[in-house]
Amino acid sequence: MQLLLSDHYRTARQSLERSRLRTFLTMLGVAIGIASITTILALSGGVSKVIGKQVAELGSQVAVVRPHAALPTLADLSNPSPSNAYSTSPLQERDITTLSELPATEAVAPLMTLSGSVRTHESTPNKSTIVATTPSLVKVNNLKISDGQFIDSVTKQNTAVVGTQLSIDLFGTDQSIGSNFLIRGQSFTVIGVLKRQNQPINYNNIDFDQAAIISLESGKLFNGGVAQIQQINVTAKPGTAMSTFSQKIQSSLTKNHDDQKDIDVFTGKEIAKPTSNLFQFISAVMAVVASISLVVGGVGIMNIMLVGVSERTREIGLRKAVGASNMTIASQFLIEALIISGIGGLLGFLGGYFIAFVISLMIPYDPTFSWSIVAWTASLSIGVGALFGLYPAIRAARKNPIESLRRYH
Amino acid sequence: MAAAPATPPVIELRDLKKRFGVGDAEHYALDGVDLTVEKGEFIAIMGPSGCGKTTLLNIIGMLDQSTDGEFLLDGKNVEDIRGGKQASIRAKQIGFIFQSFNLIERLNVLENVALPLTYSGIHHTKRIQRASDVLKSFHLQNREYYMPWQLSGGQTQRVAIARALVSDPSIILADEPTGNLDSKSSHIIMEELSEIHKKGNTILMVTHNPNLTTYATRVITMLDGRIDTDTAEPTKQEPKTVKKRPLSKSAKPPKTKKKPAKRKAKK
Ligand SMILES: Nc1ncnc2c1ncn2[C@@H]1O[C@H](COP(=O)(O)OP(=O)(O)OP(=O)(O)O)[C@@H](O)[C@H]1O
Ligand SMILES: [Mg+2]
Repeated sequence: MQLLLSDHYRTARQSLERSRLRTFLTMLGVAIGIASITTILALSGGVSKVIGKQVAELGSQVAVVRPHAALPTLADLSNPSPSNAYSTSPLQERDITTLSELPATEAVAPLMTLSGSVRTHESTPNKSTIVATTPSLVKVNNLKISDGQFIDSVTKQNTAVVGTQLSIDLFGTDQSIGSNFLIRGQSFTVIGVLKRQNQPINYNNIDFDQAAIISLESGKLFNGGVAQIQQINVTAKPGTAMSTFSQKIQSSLTKNHDDQKDIDVFTGKEIAKPTSNLFQFISAVMAVVASISLVVGGVGIMNIMLVGVSERTREIGLRKAVGASNMTIASQFLIEALIISGIGGLLGFLGGYFIAFVISLMIPYDPTFSWSIVAWTASLSIGVGALFGLYPAIRAARKNPIESLRRYH
Repeated sequence: MAAAPATPPVIELRDLKKRFGVGDAEHYALDGVDLTVEKGEFIAIMGPSGCGKTTLLNIIGMLDQSTDGEFLLDGKNVEDIRGGKQASIRAKQIGFIFQSFNLIERLNVLENVALPLTYSGIHHTKRIQRASDVLKSFHLQNREYYMPWQLSGGQTQRVAIARALVSDPSIILADEPTGNLDSKSSHIIMEELSEIHKKGNTILMVTHNPNLTTYATRVITMLDGRIDTDTAEPTKQEPKTVKKRPLSKSAKPPKTKKKPAKRKAKK
């Protein structure tokens, strides 16, 4: 058996090498499919890993409340609006109070991001985020202050805490306490600077190094007096069972919202799931590309194998005449298909990581390597080869040796 | 060569028929062939083109199935032999020399000759060694790495014969092995086949050249899908022919009786 396998491999290699270009083009179909899948898995793994690490650092007592995200529909895919994912958030200011009144709650912090420019008269950083929140955020999110203080309930309006990078972008220094800058044309005074975090991707969807943090009251003023909250982070008292806690949050907020289930509560690892619509959109597109190209690649394999079978009819007849059984012939051709899809898969895997690496230069996290990606792509490519190689192999095996010899000489 | 009477004949055909086509196109390429071949016979089969010689060899080599009648190989009905087993018999016991040379174009001479050994589970290096030895006996050692299209017609034929002999088969089915060769080369091939025959192997050879029948121990002529004449009975002096008759008789008395009687009168 082992002997036959090595013979099959030799035969397959010979016949594939004889038509290199054809073989390569066939491999390409599978390679593209596997490459897309590898890219998706490597990058989404990267996102989950980064956020998962943050969640682990925060401890297991955090629950995150987000508006219920419907599965992206076809319309969303053809017309994506990734910039403002939660423009019509159902979360209300009242919910903050409700949550803090739950017996197991330790602290509650809402996150309201605002659009608009942050600038001084001299400079306008091109990347910045405006976040309105309550003083408890510092505790809930475990933020570290490098200089000054965080916003608190007694600080005046029009004060802000800025991230290190934003401080440097605005004032050229991270020592900016007392400096003034403009948010939507309104002047704010820096009362504190955050320690550098280097976590551009996190479960808050906010890069705190680039953020200007203002009080929820100030934020509401920019929004016609209405809080536009897109996420509420809640920490539970030590020892609280998170699953019951999350149910409690769910039920009390549902009551607040006229019995509408328009929010989701995440705890533990779930928090780490990529939330960005853009990411989901890209993943969905790549998944579609991947499955189409896998099918196309498979059909290509089938096509090439069928051509090979009829080109080699005489050879098949002859091999049978000198003692090849149907099984032997079938496995010879199946192995050829598997080699095509296997090498295609390998190329795709390497290519996928290359693409993931190139993309990661533009976005702030690295692709991850995991054996499950290897397992997935390997079994997919072998599966495609086996599935689409089977029929040609069976056809080859069923050839009548006499007719094959008579007809083709 | 005097085999014990207990061993069954290597090949036994009883009223074997092969039909091609259906309806109006129906045509019997073999129309009732009775033939018993003992181990160690060297049979030359002659007959006009289209009389069914190749068809007969194909059926004996289990490449084709008969439409009717029985075929016993080593006493076993081939219908009872599984496909996989048939293949392995072809690999180890039967050597085919085809009417047209049928080498695989993309394999070199050596690999072509080694091909049957692949399917009897012999290791690659050993296969190449054996193939090389056989080629040497056909004076083709300096053509080992030629591709089939680089060979002359006669060389191609010798390669095809070398391939048939490489696995040391006990039955050799040769369909005009000397068809394209000059008489000198033909005799070299025939000497080689005689050599194999002397080792106790059975050979069935189709030929159009009456001169070559001198190498055979028995000559059969076919006509329209039947056996027309068979030297086995009256003329030849082989002792095994005498032994064979009663054996066949016990198996199928009426058929075997009829055949020798009708030998000439049948037309
Ligand atoms: N696949 C087939 N379909 C239809 N008829 C066939 C087929 N194979 C063989 N025949 C017919 O069977 C008959 C015997 O053919 P076969 O090849 O056995 O002849 P042969 O005795 O070997 O002739 P030659 O000496 O020319 O090689 C021929 O009339 C041929 O046309
Ligand atoms: Mg013929």
